[in-house]
Amino acid sequence: MNELSYFNISGGQKTAIDPDNAFWGIMDNSSIPQNLLSLYAKVKDRLNTEFNEFRFGKELSAIYIDPTDRCNANCPYCYIPAKLRNNGRSMNRGELAFILKKLARYFNRFRRKPVIIFHASEPLLVKDIIFEVIRKFKKEFYFGLQTNAILLEEEDARFLKKYRVGVGISLDSHLAPVNNRLRKTKEADGNFEHAVKAIKWFAGYDGLNVITTITKFNVAHLSDIVEFLHGKYVPCVLLNPVRLTQKASYALKPDESLMIEYFLMAVDRAIQLSRDSGRRIIIGNFTNIILGIVAPAARRLMCDISPCGGGRCFLTITASGKMIPCGEFIGLRRFSGGNIFKTGVNEAMESKPFKKIRARIVEKIEKCNSCIFRNICGAPCPAELHSLGNMLQPSIFCKFYKKIIEYAFKLIAENKVKYCFREDGLNNLEYDYRLGG
Amino acid sequence: MQKRCQKRNAKKASKANPGAISYRLKCAKTANGLSHFVMYGDAPKGKSLL
Repeated sequence: MNELSYFNISGGQKTAIDPDNAFWGIMDNSSIPQNLLSLYAKVKDRLNTEFNEFRFGKELSAIYIDPTDRCNANCPYCYIPAKLRNNGRSMNRGELAFILKKLARYFNRFRRKPVIIFHASEPLLVKDIIFEVIRKFKKEFYFGLQTNAILLEEEDARFLKKYRVGVGISLDSHLAPVNNRLRKTKEADGNFEHAVKAIKWFAGYDGLNVITTITKFNVAHLSDIVEFLHGKYVPCVLLNPVRLTQKASYALKPDESLMIEYFLMAVDRAIQLSRDSGRRIIIGNFTNIILGIVAPAARRLMCDISPCGGGRCFLTITASGKMIPCGEFIGLRRFSGGNIFKTGVNEAMESKPFKKIRARIVEKIEKCNSCIFRNICGAPCPAELHSLGNMLQPSIFCKFYKKIIEYAFKLIAENKVKYCFREDGLNNLEYDYRLGG
Repeated sequence: MQKRCQKRNAKKASKANPGAISYRLKCAKTANGLSHFVMYGDAPKGKSLL
């Protein structure tokens, strides 16, 4: 049963929202305009259908492959257990090619070209076999790579650009000592020098993004990090709150109020830099929140939605071939949906652990089920919350999500969200419906 | 034609109540590369807002 709920945003304005289909309207803080109510009545059934299709659709579009368990870094908040990072296995050439062939067969029935992302631990430890499959399967897949850049060389950057590989580089601060305390390496100081050098090699490349994990050590620097990266022509940065999936990360948890304050300052800084310079830097996870409001089905990141994308839109294949709903589950027991070397993707999708993640929806979570932002935030993350005892509870950073969603509405009211989008898409905006503005 | 009508209607609505804003974008719908990684290039460039 749909209904509108109301909340105030700063500037003396009021917002109406239907939490179940993300219809919204911003108005002066007086009576509800009749034209808004008429629009709502006209579109709500269609929005319900679209919203539910996007939430509950079960078609994979991305596969993470962890080609090795091993890592040359030792980040204190890593969700991969240290034992695995130190002593785990790596895929060999034949195993990786086998997986890609199997996935190509699986996706052959769909019209889309799926995405393969080489991810944690450090995929460049097996650089040769990764690059080989990128060359070999370029027609079947788009590719992405998440790396600490320690092993990246200029020639590799040229290769990745040539094959239009999406590249995520991990960097936690614009200050070397702070970064290197968080992004530690085993044999040297940290990845700062490598990451910054790599960022230069990718300057101006659309497929580059930087991931910054927010902890108590860098929370106060978020705006400066944005400015630093903008100066290096990085088009997109993710400022992700640290996940508490592994106990070691508790000690790094940022104060939530401080995180809200500094994150929103970083949003403002990104907008100001984009506006004043004519060159965009977007904070990807904030942009995704805005999309959750103005174009819910255009969201790209599948953490702030329920059920989340794990085991629904994507899955992770570990170095030993285990299929798990998301890499975040790698250190948790009883979340394997089978082994790719023995069974198939269909079986994993129909396995009990995958179904369990897909069944985890905000409507089942006390407090979330009455929250008006429940379908913009999605109460992330099930792996993190499971490791804390129960996945059916609100996000650890619930207050943070509420505040940044309220801020997103404020920016919408001020017509500033255009600075939070990639420019290419902005030039082609089409409205499904539009009232005022 | 339909687009023109929509625009006209939106303008009318705007005049009727300048204080009310509500919209939904439809250009950027994608069902590709949905993950927690910012992929780029898997959706048409001109239609990608993130």
